[in-house]
Amino acid sequence: MDEYTVIDGRGTMTVFETYIKTTPERLWDAIVDPEMRAKYSFGVQTESDYTNGSSYKSSVPGVIDIAEGENLKVDPPRRLVQSFTALWSEDVKSAGSSRVTWEIEPVGSSCRLRVIHDQLPAGANSELYGGWMMILSGLKTLLETGELLDTPGSLRYAQANA
Amino acid sequence: MDAAFKALSDPTRRSLLDELFARDGQTLTELEERLPMTRFGVMKHLKVLEEAGLVTTQRRGREKFHYLNSVPIQLIHDRWVSKYAEPLAATISGIKRELEEQ
Repeated sequence: MDEYTVIDGRGTMTVFETYIKTTPERLWDAIVDPEMRAKYSFGVQTESDYTNGSSYKSSVPGVIDIAEGENLKVDPPRRLVQSFTALWSEDVKSAGSSRVTWEIEPVGSSCRLRVIHDQLPAGANSELYGGWMMILSGLKTLLETGELLDTPGSLRYAQANA
Repeated sequence: MDAAFKALSDPTRRSLLDELFARDGQTLTELEERLPMTRFGVMKHLKVLEEAGLVTTQRRGREKFHYLNSVPIQLIHDRWVSKYAEPLAATISGIKRELEEQ
């Protein structure tokens, strides 16, 4: 874990963690498969070929750009490290590039999924990382029940894709 | 989810979560300084919060940093709160919009 950024003795980072009853392979597929990903990402679509050094872009086509970045390290089905530049508002754009690490660790018949968002500027807008808990909650529900969350927030862009 | 409800039932543990919400990634020593409690008491409560998944830790060198993990709270929200509260919240925001547009 030493490679996470440390600024003033502490990293400017946030951690989101959940246990999901699934296999590492199914969990990895749910992260990189564009159709699955959109289902628990408020309808936001993410396009990438997920090779080392390739780029990705998340958007609701024709409606709003969400984020873009590079796949810094792709190690299926365990670890995905991405640079992350938010695009949905001028304020979040001004935060520049940060880093998002997806870590999958098998635990018994489940997986521990950790999303670590670090290299954030000090005093970063909480919008930058505030969506991860909803995304992880939706991902857990989708993999464990095959169903989608239907809370208003989780359907934000669903109609844009319909 | 039972473990999260149980962990949240204690006011001291809620104040620990508030501390981490205000400033994420604190050591035991930092948390101990902010709360009127012994080191042992803070450790005991952090352990309950960790077991409920509400706090995760990262070790760097000799230091252990504590981070608020809000996913279990989101799971409680998605399962227990949104169903009851969101129709009401939608009504209120609808009223607000109507009043503001007048």
